[in-house]
Amino acid sequence: MKNINLKSILIAAFVLIASTNSYSQISKAEIIATGLTCSMCSNAINKQLKSMAEVESVSTDLNTNTFTVTLKDNNAVTPNILKESVEKTGFFIGSMVLTMDLGNVQVAENQKVERPSGTYIFVNNSTKTGPIKVQVLNDGFVTKKEFKKSAKLQAKFAQATANENTYLIKSI
Amino acid sequence: MKYLGILLLTFLSFDVNAQELFVMTEPASNMPAGSIGIRNTNMITFKNDGGTNYHNMPEVMWGVDRNWMIHATAFMNNRQGNLMFQGGSLYAKYRFFSSDDLHSHFRLAAYGRVSTNNAPIDQEEIETMGMNSGYETGLVATKLINKTAISSSISYERALNNNTHQFPDNQGNSAMNYTLSIGQLLHPKEYTSFKQTNVNAMVEFLGQRLNQNGKSYLDVVPSLQFIINSQARVDLAYRHQIYSDINRIASNSVLIKLEYTFFNVTN
Repeated sequence: MKNINLKSILIAAFVLIASTNSYSQISKAEIIATGLTCSMCSNAINKQLKSMAEVESVSTDLNTNTFTVTLKDNNAVTPNILKESVEKTGFFIGSMVLTMDLGNVQVAENQKVERPSGTYIFVNNSTKTGPIKVQVLNDGFVTKKEFKKSAKLQAKFAQATANENTYLIKSI
Repeated sequence: MKYLGILLLTFLSFDVNAQELFVMTEPASNMPAGSIGIRNTNMITFKNDGGTNYHNMPEVMWGVDRNWMIHATAFMNNRQGNLMFQGGSLYAKYRFFSSDDLHSHFRLAAYGRVSTNNAPIDQEEIETMGMNSGYETGLVATKLINKTAISSSISYERALNNNTHQFPDNQGNSAMNYTLSIGQLLHPKEYTSFKQTNVNAMVEFLGQRLNQNGKSYLDVVPSLQFIINSQARVDLAYRHQIYSDINRIASNSVLIKLEYTFFNVTN
């Protein structure tokens, strides 16, 4: 009797931990690609994103080159993996907005949050909880023009973003 | 009749890309990494001394990675009577610079080609794409601004002996080539789906100058391109000689080119 109870408690605890971990994944990514105009180029990106095992679906706006990528539950996708996927097709990223649930986190400037999908550093304050939308500001995730404009901000966090899988994000 | 049949059979290649997918030249951009394309070029050349020749060039293209592309082409024509295999070519392109923004880019690539051909050499014009054994190496720059693409290339081309046929001593065996291509996306004005047919209009200028004697030619190639279902591409082109003091078998030709790309094959 005691053993069964202990087992159930352990299983329940494991399930609880596992389910809270799933909240740290990226559930959606809205990507604007650069370097293209025509629908065939968009098709190349569309097919490349769809070929990723962790991708549930992709919806494309052919006029703004925006790809809304819905990811499967319990995915191991990081912003870098998405960037690689687009760059493989020969194009680049102009904007990446992620939808993630970081749980009960105080979103404040300089706040660092570590999750399986990466380390995130906020550049602004936000009073939201639950799933939030954040834009990635690292080099290669924004247009060159945008990156130059944010030079001061980038310099401030240069040391942190030099680390692997670390992203500067702005809550939007 | 036989040729019409081949033409119809080869109506099965399609291509990706749009206003910078020029008919006669390659842009500085690449195919997506891991994709494989098959292409077929059908050409009818109007010989200067009367009559026509038919050329058929099947090609396989591979996007090795985001910066490297390799093509293999076979040459067939009926210059010597029946349609027969004349030679082949290997081409590689490396994109070494890319600066992208919304609906625009500027790219630079270097390329090289080696070709083999076993036909007799009957003209001064050097053409490693179907007429001469030899090699070519060059640079190409492409600029995309919204619906317009401009591409320019410069290359060095060297003809060698066509296997058993010696290259004539009294002809120039190397040349500089220069091209300028402009393409415009005409339709649709605004996208509603991948299934819409895209129409591109292009005009290309192709020039060659023989190094040893300074003789040169300049051609203009207007073309119309249809992209169906964001998968299939059909090019219709007419190549017209503007001027030439180089001896050429044919000064003008018509061309139909078709291409199809399989995505994510090797990645």
